Amino acid sequence: MNSRDKRPNFFIREIPLLVLLVFWVIYAGIEVIRGRFDILTSVIPTGLFIIAYIIVRLVAKEQKGRD
Amino acid sequence: MDLFLALELIALALSGLLVWHSASTRGAAFTCMFFLGGAFLGLARENVVAQVAALNLYSYSPAAFHLWVGAAPLILMVFWSYAIYLALTFSEIIVGGNLISGRRRVWVLLMSMLFMAAYACLNEAFASMYPMVLWKFKPALTIWGGTPAMVLWGYAGMALIFLPATLLVFKLRIRIVYRVMIFCASVIVMIPLHLLWIAIFRLATSAIG
Repeated sequence: MNSRDKRPNFFIREIPLLVLLVFWVIYAGIEVIRGRFDILTSVIPTGLFIIAYIIVRLVAKEQKGRD
Repeated sequence: MDLFLALELIALALSGLLVWHSASTRGAAFTCMFFLGGAFLGLARENVVAQVAALNLYSYSPAAFHLWVGAAPLILMVFWSYAIYLALTFSEIIVGGNLISGRRRVWVLLMSMLFMAAYACLNEAFASMYPMVLWKFKPALTIWGGTPAMVLWGYAGMALIFLPATLLVFKLRIRIVYRVMIFCASVIVMIPLHLLWIAIFRLATSAIG
């Protein structure tokens, strides 16, 4: 069976979210420590993508549950 | 351990996770092509930019990075494929599309460009602190920390060039090993295209400045 025929588990599916979150937190954390925290440029643009991603995932899960 | 060295190692480890994700969800052929091509692109492009003085763009700070390949930090071997892979995956999920199968392909591409610009905000705000990059010119338009505004345009342009190239080569009906080789070789076309993309922005904003 091809590896793509089998649906990957939750951890593998959400690796991109995990990777982006790790970097998002590290960068913002270091910026806070070094006193250069800029919420507008550092946090909001990528943060909006993270929120949109999570909402889409949750909506899809909700729809799947209803079906 | 030095903070920056730790960050470089974390980035390499996280890239390994993305390769695992890609292999599990997109298959080995796509993964080899995408990440090997991205590695070639990153190292070749950044060496060209750092060493060709006529481009008058930037070089990397020797004080910040520890691991190097020529004039480019080793981390650039994974940086572009890492960022574009995140852009592609997030965009496909958000718009419900798929670059390879063709479902909402244009929207996936546009959203990927937007993601890359957003990611540039996060990355370049951080880069300006150390600084990681030494700019060789005085930009007409700057954002936080004196970073040229063209970085947002530049990151978006990389998605615009890299993703269609990926699609084009992946769809070729030849053995995967040849597709990987062609894609790696295609960086000699992608690099000038991207430099041209940046030059357009610099030219347009020089009139404003």
